Amino acid sequence: MSDFEPKLVCFSCRFGWGYLADQHALSAQIKNWIPIICSGKVDAIQVLDAFKHGADGVLILGCPAGECHYQDGNEESKKRVLLLQKLLDACGIEPARVRMEMSLDPEGKKIPGLVKNMTETIRKLGPVKMS
Amino acid sequence: MVAKPKVAIAWLGSCGGCDEAVVDLNEALLDVTNAVDVIFWPVALDFKYHHLEKMTDGDIVLSIINGHVRNSEQEEVAKLLRKKSKLVLSFGSCACFGGTPGMANFRTKEDIFNWVYRDAPTVVNPQGNYPQVKTKVDGKELTLPAFYEQVYALNQIIDVDYYLPGCPPPPDLIANAVNAVLQGKLPPKGSTLAPHKALCDSCKRNKTKPQKIAIKELKRIHEIEASPDICFLAQGVLCLGLATRDGCGAVCIETNIPCRGCFGPVEGVKDAGAKTIAALASMLDVHSDDEMEKAVNSIDDLAGYLYRFSLPVSTLKKRRV
Ligand code: SF4
Ligand code: SF4
Repeated sequence: MSDFEPKLVCFSCRFGWGYLADQHALSAQIKNWIPIICSGKVDAIQVLDAFKHGADGVLILGCPAGECHYQDGNEESKKRVLLLQKLLDACGIEPARVRMEMSLDPEGKKIPGLVKNMTETIRKLGPVKMS
Repeated sequence: MVAKPKVAIAWLGSCGGCDEAVVDLNEALLDVTNAVDVIFWPVALDFKYHHLEKMTDGDIVLSIINGHVRNSEQEEVAKLLRKKSKLVLSFGSCACFGGTPGMANFRTKEDIFNWVYRDAPTVVNPQGNYPQVKTKVDGKELTLPAFYEQVYALNQIIDVDYYLPGCPPPPDLIANAVNAVLQGKLPPKGSTLAPHKALCDSCKRNKTKPQKIAIKELKRIHEIEASPDICFLAQGVLCLGLATRDGCGAVCIETNIPCRGCFGPVEGVKDAGAKTIAALASMLDVHSDDEMEKAVNSIDDLAGYLYRFSLPVSTLKKRRV
């Protein structure tokens, strides 16, 4: 297991995360970083598809509660994550493989750290068993 | 005289309800049996597998196959019928999606065997006997089909031409399907012979569904005195009609039971559970982390509820060990 390098997909809301950062420099630091407009865009099926296509974990970065640029996309996403974790758990996939963080980080300084943190959690869990 | 088209009806891992649904065509069944030659129907007629084996490939016009696949006998029968048939109709929710027996995929084969042959309180098995594929008894070898690690839907084992979901499928859709084959008026291969829209669209209670559903905590149907006229969602009970294919005739709703999703997801949707999650999240009127966790944790067996009929064909398919 020592040579296992977890594959993480990170979706982040453009309104709250890294919009002031040098996008190229930041994306060079974070593999599979997908900035999107509103974390509420991330649906359960996309998270499951990410696992199906080889992701070992999915991190969703949304705006703080009450600060969604639409209405409540971040809260919707959070509820979906909690519900999806139940399905994963019932199928023997560790719920910690999906995580949602709600905060504000225009310069994107926290993103590499959060990704690293989660990567370490997943490293302990090992590769996801999809088949 | 022109030979009548040959039709086979087979049950794999089935409760018999799907065969019963064919019998329930009543007088219409006589019309069907006048128009076709039923050459195989284990529930009703005494034909043997070797009769099938002797037939020319493609000789059967239509095989109507119900039930899921979980053992080697079911797989063999499915493959034999496929070889001998021009068309295969996957009949009923078990064949189409794995059905309720598909929920066994939440357990491993080992868990199931241990419970059934060792741990269940009613089991007396002092010698610890488990089913074996081969056993020697008095110098003779007895065989049993091999029990697979998981439940499969029919199209995970053989190529399927058409799908007719339902637990069991209703008589009007069965008659339509059989007539479409007999008259050669079939939609493109791979079609589901049922409406494309969601059950809500034809549900009588739909007009009572509020624009914005706000549920603090989901209730199960036996926990409330459910009104027979108001949308279940407005009563705080999870009804899967909004993500489930129409065609059942809303029989559960008519008996004041919410939709459990036996017709499978609406056209174009692959994963019924993942689809329902988005709808369910938007209906849960909870905001703080605590409230959210409380609401989500109060739902009994969410995975079983969302995949009651379709776990084997979902993205997750089964429990991992
Ligand atoms: S679909 Fe329903 S009626 Fe048909 S075999 Fe399965 S459980 Fe029985
Ligand atoms: S959610 Fe259920 S009760 Fe409400 S309209 Fe849809 S099918 Fe009918």
